Amino acid sequence: MVGLSEGEKHFIRGGIAQDIRTDGRKRLQFRALSVETGVIPQANGSARVRLGATEIIASVKAELGKPSILHPDKGKVSIFVDCSPTAEPTFEGRGSEELSTELAVALQRCLLGGKSGAGAAIDLSSLIVVDGKVCWDLYIDGLVVSSDGNLLDALAAAIKVALSDTGIPKVNVSLSAANDEEPEVDVSDEEFLQFDTSSVPVIITLTKVGRHYIVDATSEEESQMSSAVSVSVNRHGQICGLTKRGGAGLDPSVIFDMISVAKHVSQQFIGVLDSEIAAAEAEADE
Amino acid sequence: MEYVNPLTGFRVDGRRPNEMRQLKAEVGVVARADGSALFEMGNTRVIAAVYGPREIQNKGQQVNNKEALVRCEYRMAEFSTGDRRRKPKGDRRSTEISLVIRQTMEASILKDLMPCSQIDIFVQVLQADGGTRSACINAATLALADAGIPMRDIVTSCSAGYLCSTPLLDLNYVEDSAGGPDVTVGILAKMDKVTLLQMDAKLPMDTFESVMGLAIEGCKAIATYIREVLLENTKRLECQRG
Repeated sequence: MVGLSEGEKHFIRGGIAQDIRTDGRKRLQFRALSVETGVIPQANGSARVRLGATEIIASVKAELGKPSILHPDKGKVSIFVDCSPTAEPTFEGRGSEELSTELAVALQRCLLGGKSGAGAAIDLSSLIVVDGKVCWDLYIDGLVVSSDGNLLDALAAAIKVALSDTGIPKVNVSLSAANDEEPEVDVSDEEFLQFDTSSVPVIITLTKVGRHYIVDATSEEESQMSSAVSVSVNRHGQICGLTKRGGAGLDPSVIFDMISVAKHVSQQFIGVLDSEIAAAEAEADE
Repeated sequence: MEYVNPLTGFRVDGRRPNEMRQLKAEVGVVARADGSALFEMGNTRVIAAVYGPREIQNKGQQVNNKEALVRCEYRMAEFSTGDRRRKPKGDRRSTEISLVIRQTMEASILKDLMPCSQIDIFVQVLQADGGTRSACINAATLALADAGIPMRDIVTSCSAGYLCSTPLLDLNYVEDSAGGPDVTVGILAKMDKVTLLQMDAKLPMDTFESVMGLAIEGCKAIATYIREVLLENTKRLECQRG
């Protein structure tokens, strides 16, 4: 982390109070978003998202596995986050474990729903191949290559784009197998099923600096925060998850206000993200 | 398996035996690092970031206070190989490669110009298709140059093997796992000195000389490319400064 002088801290706080941030943005304005799909050819789906100087690569790999006994009609999804030391020298060795776990758990909460699997953004029953015997295991990996604040939002966006790029191979099951034997499955190399990501939410993090909140904070602005609330909103304006970070206490009315601001900003962000995904897919088709 | 087609002389991916994979390099990919580079050799993609020279974080690691401390970490992304790796950091191969890269770069960095400071080189493998060691060293050279760290010379690295009685330059993953010998060479390009030499499996002496000679030629070709990239980058910076 680069140290900030008193003058710089004052400048950042003053700018936010006057609705002009250090890079000229307004409080509720996102940085330039750039999206690329298919960056990892050997994965089933992948994406590279750049939000200002923050760069995330997300990949989705599907492997055949056995469904859990509690949910024999559902596939499994697991999300992992890795912070590369190229982003921050403090991430070397085991330094990034705490942050990676925090980010992975926050993403799981927003995208995968509760313990029973209810409310998951991805329809887990579409991942089942043979009830109780064979299902698809999705491994979603997020890699933070360059970090300049707002990692959670960028990770959620990258995962949404990677899922929209994912193709699950079609599986032909031989029906002649006996009941207690492992059924034979033939994974097709040709046909793929695309995922429906219209219900995958995005995450908007509102960072409170002084008396105002900003969206998409850079790491310098994050160092001045008193608290932050990350709200996960889907296309229909429904809230899919909520996390509050930071030690300062927040008045409940402030939290409600932040949630409504996040809902408003999220619709715009989802629009931008969807158009970027469409543009990337059009480019890939050429 | 036919690694070299006896009729046409082509390898599994359509290259000739002394042909290297396509190279692509980009400087300055990680905005917050002092120097960074992306290096691609065919399907192997690697990002290197350099932080330094900066204050020593852990005084206990400092051995010689008249020289800079060079540290290196090599990491592979979980999605970098065909099967998903479960433990991409801290395993023995990563530790060994981190050590190898550090020793190779130390031979070139003018450490005594920066006493009591540390230089961190972080290498992240995004896609692995054979020759990751060499790609990492080439990326680290570019990143160090981008960070403005004084070096004796450009360090480049390339691998070569021997399959179907033919020396092959720049092995990819399929050729590497064929079980034939794999010679990795790292040289200081202009000074013509070898800083890294590793080989596994066995080779008769005269064949070894020809394989190593091929690898050194590969290194020199990469050095020419790296010089072009750095020149291009400097011109672009000069234009930006006006």
